[in-house]
Amino acid sequence: MTPILRVRDAAYTSHGRAIVPPVRFDVHASERVARVCANANEARGLAMMCAALARTTSGTLLIGEYDPRVQPVHCKRLAGYVAHDPLPLSRDELLRFVDYRAALWDIDPARARAHVHLLLERLEGLHEAFAYPIAVALLPFPQLLVLDRPHPAFAAHVLAAAGSCALLSTHLDESSARAYAPALAEARA
Amino acid sequence: MTARALRALVEARLGAERRAIAFACATAAVVGFIQPHGIMTITDPLGADIAIRSVWLAGPMFFCSTIAIAIALVQGPGRHPYLDASESSAPLFGRELARAKALVPVIASLLAAFVYWFAQFLTGFAAPPTFFALALACVLASGLVALNATVRSGVAKAVTIALAGTVSICAFVLAVYVDPFAKQRGDAIGVASELLFCAIVGFFALREYGEALARYDPV
Repeated sequence: MTPILRVRDAAYTSHGRAIVPPVRFDVHASERVARVCANANEARGLAMMCAALARTTSGTLLIGEYDPRVQPVHCKRLAGYVAHDPLPLSRDELLRFVDYRAALWDIDPARARAHVHLLLERLEGLHEAFAYPIAVALLPFPQLLVLDRPHPAFAAHVLAAAGSCALLSTHLDESSARAYAPALAEARA
Repeated sequence: MTARALRALVEARLGAERRAIAFACATAAVVGFIQPHGIMTITDPLGADIAIRSVWLAGPMFFCSTIAIAIALVQGPGRHPYLDASESSAPLFGRELARAKALVPVIASLLAAFVYWFAQFLTGFAAPPTFFALALACVLASGLVALNATVRSGVAKAVTIALAGTVSICAFVLAVYVDPFAKQRGDAIGVASELLFCAIVGFFALREYGEALARYDPV
């Protein structure tokens, strides 16, 4: 079975400085993979690479069957990205933001609002500023959800909200990585 | 890119920058009122000499271009991180995103330029519509060039901003100093060359902005 994310010695360099050293791993459908990174920059860079937001400078990275360097739009339809920073929006602002995201992904606004409502029910108990980014990232039904340094305390909620969506998270320590991928064997980057 | 996505993107950006746009319009109104010149609108636009042309065009071109450059620069990443993140993760090509994002400073600077012209009109000394069109073309071209600075940093950013200023100077020179040298009075060579220059510069600036957005490195 073809993995949803295939990373082969993919590295990321910015202004001559290595941000992400070459990494190699796969993420299959419905699988949870957590990667432990050496620092915040590496964690952010790896998450952005895997969500097709940053281009690999060497190696190969495929999301589905697509290369983000060639077909970024297809990749962005498959992968959702949750940044490390919270999203400080009020409830009214969230509804406007959902309409905005629904327009960008060409989703019916009524369906988008209903879907977000359902996701927020699954994320109940989580602080709104952390629940909203996860809900809006899951709005277009991505096949892969990439989380940049999520808090370990949110793991149960995130896994419940993600459902059958494959999940890749980057972390700075093994204990928080283990919260997102209990069977953490080859996770060390 | 669907029309709905384009509208959503532009509305979100205009809403996020509403204070900057209101400030630009208010400033344009004040400057439009106080800008001193005493040339009546009945002066034949195509037969106007260099002095009249420069008085008509210096204010709207340089002031409104400055506004356009400032509004373009605030479109850069960092001011509204959740909009930046949504735009970059949306399934849109760089050129599509560039067109949508370029519409925001275009609309805002056009609005400010109209407010400026209306303020001048109320004082009874508005430049003729032909010359206002020249000013608008200059404002749009310099704003589109300045947009490229938002995806650059350091020296490249400073050079791009300087280039945007240079575009407005070139447009001014073409509009003011070319026509009086025409073989026949009213040839409008200056008008045509300025409009053509701004159209070419604007086209390539927008194209380059799309390329830069596609290559943009958010890390």
